[in-house]
Amino acid sequence: MTTTVGGRRPTEETPPGGARAGAPPRIPDWRRKARPYLLSVPAVLLIIGILYAFFYGVYYTVLDYAATNPDPQFVGVANYREVLGDPLFWRSAGTTLLYAVLATGAETVLGVAIALLLNRSSLIGKTFERLLILPLMIAPVIAGVIWKLMFNPQFGVLNHVFGLGSTFDWLSRDRALFSVVLVDVWIYTPFVAILVLAGIRSLPQEPFEASDVDGASWFYMFRRLMLPMMWPYILVAVIFRFMDCLKVFDSVYVLTQGGPGVTTTTLQISAFQDSITNLNYSRGSTYMFLLWIIVFITARYLVGVLGKAQRRAAGAGV
Amino acid sequence: MSEQSRPLPLSRRTALAALGGAAAVPLLSACGVGTGGGGDAAATANGAAEVTGSFDWKALSGESIKILQTPHPYQQAFQPLLKEFTELTGIEVQADLVAEADYFTKLNTELAGRTGAHDVFMTGAYFIWQYGPPGWMEDLAPWIQNSAATSDEYDFEDIYEGLRTSTRWDFEKGSALGTGGQWAIPWGFETNVVAYNKRVFDQRGIALPETFDDFIQVATDLTDRANNTYGVAFRGSKSWATIHPGFMTQFTREGGQDYTAEGTTYTAAMNSDAAVEFTRKWVDLAKNAGPTSWTTYDYPQCTGDLGNGNAMMVYDADSATYPKNKAGASKEAGNLAWYPGPAGPDGSYATNLWTWSLAMNAASKKKQAAWLFIQWATGKDAMNKATASTFADPTRASVFDGSFKQTLGGFPGYLETFEKVIDSTKIQFTPQTKFFETTEDWAVALQDIYSGADAKSRLDELAQANTTKINA
Repeated sequence: MTTTVGGRRPTEETPPGGARAGAPPRIPDWRRKARPYLLSVPAVLLIIGILYAFFYGVYYTVLDYAATNPDPQFVGVANYREVLGDPLFWRSAGTTLLYAVLATGAETVLGVAIALLLNRSSLIGKTFERLLILPLMIAPVIAGVIWKLMFNPQFGVLNHVFGLGSTFDWLSRDRALFSVVLVDVWIYTPFVAILVLAGIRSLPQEPFEASDVDGASWFYMFRRLMLPMMWPYILVAVIFRFMDCLKVFDSVYVLTQGGPGVTTTTLQISAFQDSITNLNYSRGSTYMFLLWIIVFITARYLVGVLGKAQRRAAGAGV
Repeated sequence: MSEQSRPLPLSRRTALAALGGAAAVPLLSACGVGTGGGGDAAATANGAAEVTGSFDWKALSGESIKILQTPHPYQQAFQPLLKEFTELTGIEVQADLVAEADYFTKLNTELAGRTGAHDVFMTGAYFIWQYGPPGWMEDLAPWIQNSAATSDEYDFEDIYEGLRTSTRWDFEKGSALGTGGQWAIPWGFETNVVAYNKRVFDQRGIALPETFDDFIQVATDLTDRANNTYGVAFRGSKSWATIHPGFMTQFTREGGQDYTAEGTTYTAAMNSDAAVEFTRKWVDLAKNAGPTSWTTYDYPQCTGDLGNGNAMMVYDADSATYPKNKAGASKEAGNLAWYPGPAGPDGSYATNLWTWSLAMNAASKKKQAAWLFIQWATGKDAMNKATASTFADPTRASVFDGSFKQTLGGFPGYLETFEKVIDSTKIQFTPQTKFFETTEDWAVALQDIYSGADAKSRLDELAQANTTKINA
């Protein structure tokens, strides 16, 4: 009788039974069949852990669970009707979207510019490359506290340095959103810059060398070669930052608590106030589930754009 | 085609999109704290009945408890004394500290989870209205009444009556404070009055303003933006805590009321004529003589500006400004003084109070040990010792009149102010379970008015919304 081991037919050197001298012992069939399942167990457990929490949160959205109502009842879509009918939800959604667009836009433009500067090999570039990562090492909450002190008109450093006196309020109704975006830009521009810089350094050199030989200008090479090829890397940074901005909470809450009024109230802050301050868990969960839907749809769309950009970049790179 | 520029396969894209969605999952689940263990206050068994025999501080020697506190002058004054409690009882105490900005977030989550991780926690009187109905707090009245659990020397009645009353409620709509369970024991408290820079007032020969209009005028006169000084600091952040100190005190003195009750139905009254007029003046005061970034100001910024000499007055808790006058604590230490603030048109010195209290977690597994700790910390001996440090104001009349008065030599007007307002000091809010939501909405309305909204129409809108919420 001949048997196969690992899909290979026994050769003349292979003794009957399939085992050669010095070869690993034969793995029983049941173990071979079970191996893929065993290997996937950690991933399955992880997914179950994530999904359990997720669906538990979704379950809350159809209850009327609050601290003042510890025996919750099923209420169907009442929470969704209530939240979607609340002008604060739409105001918070608009603020969140505006925050995400402003912060991601500014971080992308600045991040790409910094990456291009750092791409030139020099001592200053290498030094800045290392210093640039410092804001990323600070927790957003701490960054919020630092910037709140710097924004203070009475003793903050910014009014002093820019000669604004004690009457310029960085966190007034007209400026608060831009100020909280500024803090986000300060923290996360290095993230974009480092991601894009890594992308630039991985680009093939041949097209640039060929263009250089042909006498193309730096701007022409940037616009027609570098930008199309690094576009996928920029988009990856945009996706990460945009999704993160949609979920912003920490730095904004520390700086303004969502104020003045509701000027900087994002969806996360509204959810926090419902869940943690007001102890209305079902309403807070509803806010968060609706935010999850927004993030999911946005992510799907942006990943689609990324795919197209990658195909285009692949064409440019040929 | 280079390897790195090959398009990602669709499955990876899908995975990335799913990853984006999954990134929001922890946030979604974070909103939930577990629905298990529901029930109301009555459903949670009180542990006092299980304690029998004669009282003995050493009854649970060898036990250990965990307490949750926020870094605060009260906590700091008691921290060195904890070893004395251990010597007295043989019970070890582990004190966990959480910054005040996050303290109630942590506490809310922990109590809702019913883990009983901490046996004793610091809380404010308003929080009883929120924590009591779901049964998260132990009613301490049975413990006080049980002679096997409580020392003969405890003397609960020595605690100011207004404070004992402020920590009792039956959670019924329309019910006043002072009925129902004793949900916490007042530990330290504060009256909301005015602290001022006496050096500047004396230099410029300024008399203390007696009416609110005079107060506004003096604050405006003291404001000199070019030299980075301004008249008066008070809270303005987007928080319920903006309403309760200076605002609620002066609001009440000027004839304002938060709600009127008819049976079990409330009607919001923060849009009454008196309330609208006062609110308009208060917001104008913030604009003309308050801190520039008023909408971000909490008490640390207010007292910081007073101590640094930027603010000439602070309308906030007496115990919050008190530490700034201690030698070496601030630039203006030794120059601060206190007065009750302007009286109302009818001479009212009605004052809102805040009391840090000690409460027992209903889910604690060590209730007797927890009660021994609360009893010790709110007792005469420990409180007397704490007044030597930064403990102001003690909640016991005997401690206030005894050791605490002796510490007030370098604090001009502090004692006189206290004695002037104490009889009119109580919680001026209507007790209700939606306190934090509706009061934060009130702060949002103040910020909107500060930013240009019409006071009357904005307060009408607020009153309508709050009436609906509070009666729901």
